[in-house]
Amino acid sequence: MKQLAIYLFVLLCLSGCETVQPWERGTLAKREMQWQPDPMETSLQAQVNSSKEASSGGQGAAGGGCGCN
Amino acid sequence: MASRPGDKHPALLALTSSALLLPAYQGVRADAPPEFIELGTRYSKYEEDNTQGSKTFGGSSQRYEVDAAQFHLLAPVLDSWAVAVDVQWEDMSGASPWFVGQSLDGGPKVIMSGASIEDTRTEVSVTTRYYYDRGNAGFNYVHSDEDDYESNAVALDGAFNSADGMTTYSAAISTSADDIEPTQGSVPTNTLKDNKDISSAWIGVSRIVSKNAIVRFGLAYTYRDGFLTDPYKKNDRRPSERNEWAFSTGYRQYFFWPDGALQADYRYFDDDWGVASHTLDLAWHQNLGERTQLIPFLRYYSQGEADFFANIADTDKRHYSDDYRLSSFGAVSGGLRVRHEIGNWALSAVGERYETDESWGVYSGQESPALVNYWRYSFGLDYIFR
Amino acid sequence: MPHLEHRFRAMGGPCRLRLDCADEALAARAIAAAESEARRLESKYSRYLPDSLTSTINRAAGSGQAVPIDPETSGLLGFAHTLWQQSGGLFDLTAGVLRRAWDFKSGRLPAPDAIDALLPLIGWERVQWDEAGVCLPLAGMEIDFGGCVKEYASDSIANLLAHSGIRRGLVDMAGDIAVVGAGCATDPWPVGIRHPRQRGAAIAHISLAGGGLASSGDYERCLLIDGRRYGHILSPATGWPVRGLVAVSIAAPQCLVAGGSATIAMLKPEAEALAWLGELGLPWFAVDSELRCYGELSQVSP
Repeated sequence: MKQLAIYLFVLLCLSGCETVQPWERGTLAKREMQWQPDPMETSLQAQVNSSKEASSGGQGAAGGGCGCN
Repeated sequence: MASRPGDKHPALLALTSSALLLPAYQGVRADAPPEFIELGTRYSKYEEDNTQGSKTFGGSSQRYEVDAAQFHLLAPVLDSWAVAVDVQWEDMSGASPWFVGQSLDGGPKVIMSGASIEDTRTEVSVTTRYYYDRGNAGFNYVHSDEDDYESNAVALDGAFNSADGMTTYSAAISTSADDIEPTQGSVPTNTLKDNKDISSAWIGVSRIVSKNAIVRFGLAYTYRDGFLTDPYKKNDRRPSERNEWAFSTGYRQYFFWPDGALQADYRYFDDDWGVASHTLDLAWHQNLGERTQLIPFLRYYSQGEADFFANIADTDKRHYSDDYRLSSFGAVSGGLRVRHEIGNWALSAVGERYETDESWGVYSGQESPALVNYWRYSFGLDYIFR
Repeated sequence: MPHLEHRFRAMGGPCRLRLDCADEALAARAIAAAESEARRLESKYSRYLPDSLTSTINRAAGSGQAVPIDPETSGLLGFAHTLWQQSGGLFDLTAGVLRRAWDFKSGRLPAPDAIDALLPLIGWERVQWDEAGVCLPLAGMEIDFGGCVKEYASDSIANLLAHSGIRRGLVDMAGDIAVVGAGCATDPWPVGIRHPRQRGAAIAHISLAGGGLASSGDYERCLLIDGRRYGHILSPATGWPVRGLVAVSIAAPQCLVAGGSATIAMLKPEAEALAWLGELGLPWFAVDSELRCYGELSQVSP
């Protein structure tokens, strides 16, 4: 798993991404291109899933827990 | 009509670079605080299917229901600061699995906690964020309070952009102190009062791939220490430590035709309880004109059971649990998000169905009779003060 | 989608805003903000207004005193400096003094002596400027932001409209055009390119999905003497009209960059201009003195 992560990271660093100038980043600023376009929806969904599944987190540092059943 | 890709003529680069120094173009700054105050509210209804009669002792049993209200405020403060306040209220009611027993035919059946659980939870989260030329840094405090559970957590996070703005490096650390004091009701509890601590760290990197695509990778480590057992489950005794790793990756690709974007996220999770899982989230964000968005989404989740999980728990062992959440199963969920903007207002609605089955997973194991299926609906109203 | 159109006059020309916005109150606020931005830039940079910063700078010429400027003005001076560098001195912010000799309405050519007398007052390299101030060393020297302020205004207004909540719109400052927001490839704006010889007619129609479009042309102020055409694009080196293209339109992510590039192309001799446009990497359209059309923009929808 860690090897995979390192491999992907190296791949990312070496990948010859075309340089996208700041003024060409209009599309990337669109709502649909954000990692979390709707924070309230994301947090609710993460909370529901983590209270029904054994895994949680991964999109940042974990917060506190809740006694959710 | 976009400029042609490939090498830019030096004259064009020179003209563009000097033009962009003018104030009118400063909006393209990668890390800028929000310009306007934003307010949002959501009301959500979460409803679990009744557990099938054939899988429970005592016939079909009603399970959990949650009504949740969320409130979000994001406000720019001074020139380079923003404050976010998030409040969430939940009203939970229903029954949850108490333990799994063996039926006469030998199969496992679940016994639900008889009386209805009633609980309310209030969570308040405050984030202050500072924006600088090459990134931003945030401090977050979360307080969550229920009848039987209280949590206080703080987190620090930061993002830093490379000189060309193509790569963003992020990191976060957090710690929380949680107190558990089970309400004494119809079922005996595993503790009267206990606590646990959670510490977590995360690093991530995101990179612009092209004018229309961006990718990111992240690695998270979480350490839990203390009373990790479920206080209400009869046959539950878990280790007092847990080390978790999560590797995640995400991708966003915009398509001019049909004016939509693919959102894909994957997470691999692994811990020292023997649980491992794959999660794949896919969403298609379709713009219908400038103000309406339709977002169908699909999620696949598969986890392997914890080393100490067994449907019929062996309570002579050091650690044991019959909690379905530690069993092997696969889950498929999907739904639709709709958002429509009217001036400074935005209306949104979400419908989601979540279904689980042991046979859908990529990991083998015993099928828990207590696996859950649910519906969720959310309705939202946002306003931006511009 | 409701389609609003608002016309007003600013910067010596007709301006037009086209907005797709159902919320009338929001549109009204956005239009007011857009107009006041146009007025702000006009009153700051117009050389015809005695209170403008441009007039203040020009009046101080030869006094040895630097006129203090703000970041916006130093940004414009920086852009003008880049135009001067990239055009090999053909674009010169101080070349406006030639208007004192050239009167295109008179029907007469200026006396060569009159032009020669003005040439010492031209020379961007002699202007002293930095972020804090600008100083014209010789009495009689002047600068004129006319070559780039209208394009900058178009971008600035489009930016302002987007920040006011307008999702889709077009700003047209007398032919210098900017699309509001990130634009949308599936729903471009139809834009006409002005015919250099027929007033009110379009020589080409194009679809503008995003960014800006600027045109520079030798439209009307010209002298016809003994069958020879003297256009209004003057060389800062000789003081006489350049024998170049008749009209150039360029699309770029910013209207200001499009306008600057079009201006450079107009100042170059015809063949050199066409070669430069071909290398630049932006979509362009040009018309020569025989009214022949060049460039890939003409193929979009002639």
